[in-house]
Amino acid sequence: MRDSKKIAVKPPIFPGRRRWVFLGAAIIFLVCAYFLKLTPSGLIPPDSLRWDRAGKFFSAAISPAMDYQDDSVPDTADHIWVKGVKGLFYTLRFAVAAMSMAVPTALILGFFGSSAWWPEPCGRGLKFVLRTVFVVSRFVMSFARSIHELIWALLILSALGVSPLAGMVSLAIPFAGTLGKVFSEIIDEEARDSASALKAIGHRPVQTFLVGIFPRAIPDLITYSFYRFECALRASAVLGFVGIETIGLYIQLSHEEFYYHEVWTYFYLLLAMIVVVDLWGAGLRRRLNPTHA
Amino acid sequence: MTHSSPDRQARIDVLRRGRSRSRFVEGSALLMLGLTVWAWLSAGKLTGRLPFARRWQNFLNFLGDLTPSPVRKSGDWSESIPWAWDLFTDKGFTALAITIGIACAAIILSTIFVLPFLPLASRQLGRRDPFGIFSGKKTNQQGQKLARPRSEDGRNLQSQDVPVTNIEGKFDEPTLLDRKSPSSFDFRGLILGPATRFLFVLARAIPEYILAFLLISLLGLQFWPLVLALAIHNFGILGRLFGEVVENADTRAAEQAFANGFGRKKVFGLVIFPAVFNRFLIYFFYRWETCVKDATVLGMLGVLTLGHLMMMTKGFFWDRMLFYVLLGSSVIMVGDLLSTWIRQRLRR
Repeated sequence: MRDSKKIAVKPPIFPGRRRWVFLGAAIIFLVCAYFLKLTPSGLIPPDSLRWDRAGKFFSAAISPAMDYQDDSVPDTADHIWVKGVKGLFYTLRFAVAAMSMAVPTALILGFFGSSAWWPEPCGRGLKFVLRTVFVVSRFVMSFARSIHELIWALLILSALGVSPLAGMVSLAIPFAGTLGKVFSEIIDEEARDSASALKAIGHRPVQTFLVGIFPRAIPDLITYSFYRFECALRASAVLGFVGIETIGLYIQLSHEEFYYHEVWTYFYLLLAMIVVVDLWGAGLRRRLNPTHA
Repeated sequence: MTHSSPDRQARIDVLRRGRSRSRFVEGSALLMLGLTVWAWLSAGKLTGRLPFARRWQNFLNFLGDLTPSPVRKSGDWSESIPWAWDLFTDKGFTALAITIGIACAAIILSTIFVLPFLPLASRQLGRRDPFGIFSGKKTNQQGQKLARPRSEDGRNLQSQDVPVTNIEGKFDEPTLLDRKSPSSFDFRGLILGPATRFLFVLARAIPEYILAFLLISLLGLQFWPLVLALAIHNFGILGRLFGEVVENADTRAAEQAFANGFGRKKVFGLVIFPAVFNRFLIYFFYRWETCVKDATVLGMLGVLTLGHLMMMTKGFFWDRMLFYVLLGSSVIMVGDLLSTWIRQRLRR
C-alpha cells in the first residue's frame, strides 16, 4: 500500500543515464527495422488486388452484415446476429471452463512456488526439501507458460483428438503457469506484520500463512485472476483459428469467403464483449484495491 | 459455543456489520460462479467421439512420432544431438532471430506511440483543472475575469497551499481558479480523457492473432503485419499499465510545477515521466517478454518465425515440430529470467 503523501525519493535507474536507455532503444529499433525490412512502403498494400481488398474491407466496417452474404445459407438457419451471439457464448464458456481449471491449479503451484510459508528456523534437510519443491514448481510454471496456448492446443488436439475438453485443457495449462507465477509473487510481497505477530504467539508456519498472509493477498489474487480471465476470452476467440467452435472460427470462415460485412459483424460483437468485461474488471479493481488501482 | 457470552456475541455482530462489503463485488462473484456452473453443464460431451481405447492408441502413436527420427531407427539417443544441431543451423536460428526482432520492434513502436497519449489519458492531468489548479482560459464565457482561487474547503489556495513564484514573469493575473467555476465546460476531463482511455480499451480488445490475420490479407506476407498487430495490441495494454503508474505517482512535484506555470506537456515530460521511469521500464520488459511469445505463434499465419516452422512440420514431422516448440520455449524461459532479473533490479 503506498501513501501518496509520503515522499519516496528513489534514484532513477542508471542515474543520469536515461538518455542511454532511449538511445539504446532507438538503435535496437533501427537494427530490427533494417533486419526485418520494415520500410515505410511496406505499410501500403503492394498491388491493386490488395488495394481493392483493403478498400472493400474497411468500407465494410460501417455496414456490418445484417444478413448472411452467402446466399446458400438456408432460411431456417439462425439470424447472423443470433449466430454471432451464440459464438460469443461458446467463447465465454470456453474461457470460463479453462479458468475454473487454471485458478485452483495455480493456487497449488503458487503456494509451492512461494517462500512465505516456510518455517523460519528450519533444519538443513527440511530446507533442502523446501528448496527442491520451490524450484520444481517454479520450473513447471515457467515451462507451462513458455508455450503459447495455440501450440498447446496443436499438440494436445493431435495427441488426444479434437474434443472440447482437450481445447479447455490446452488453454488452462499456460494460464495456470502465468497465474501461479504471479500468485506466488503476490503472496511473497504481502506485508508480513500480522504473520510475525501470529508466529510470536505460537502459530505454526502453515497456520500463520493461511491466517496471516493469504487472506490479505486475496483482493490482489482476485483482480489478477480477473485480468487473466479477460486474456482467456481473447485467447479462446483465437483458438477458433485451430478449429474449435468459438467466434474466431466464424471470423476465419467468413474472411476466407471474402464476406467482409460478416467479418465486421462478428468482430464488433467480440469487441463489445471484451470491452464490457474490461469495464467490469476496472470496476472490480477500483473496489477491491482502491490504493493501487 | 461454550464461552460465548452475550457481550462477546454483540461485539462480533458489530464487527460483522462494520465490515466493508460491496454489492458489486458480491454480485460479480455470484455471476462468475453461475457462469462456471453453466460452462461445465452446457458443454455437452466433453471428450469427443472416439472410444477411449482408440484414443489411447493414438496417444501412444503420437508419443512415438515425437522421438527424433534417427533415434527411432537406431534407438541411440546420442544421434539426436547432430540432428538437433542441423535443424537449428538450417532454419531454426533465422526464425529465432526474426521472432525476437519482431518482438523488439513492436514493443518499442508501441511505447513511442503510447507516451504522447498519457497526459491526455491521465485522470489528474487530462482535465480542465489538474490538481484543482485551473490551467487555460483565464476568463469565463462572458469574458469576465474569474475570481481568486479557492480549494474545496474554501481556503485560499494561492497563499497557503501552493506557492506561486510566477517564474518567467508569465502571469500577471492569478492563474488559479475556483474549481466549481460554472462557466466553462471541462472538455478535457469529460470528453478527451475518457475518449483516450476508451481508445486504449479498444486497442487491447482486439486479439493480436486476429489482427495479424486481417493485416496479412491486406499488406501481404511480410513482417509489418505482425509488428503492427503486436504494436496495436500492446499500445492498449501499455496505455492502461502506464496510465495506472502515472495515477499512482506522487503528485506533489507535479502540483508545484503546475502552480508555477508549467503546461501539461511540460509537467508530464519533465516532472512525472522522470519520476516514474523505472516503473515504466518494468512494464516495458514485462510486455516485451509477452511479445516474444506472441511473435512465435503469429508465424503460424505464414511468416517465417518459429511458429511457421511448427506449422510446416506438424502432422508429418512431429519430432521436428517438438524441437522447434522446445527451442521457442527455452528462448522464452531465458527471456523470462532476463526480464525478471531486470525488473528486480529496477524495483530496488
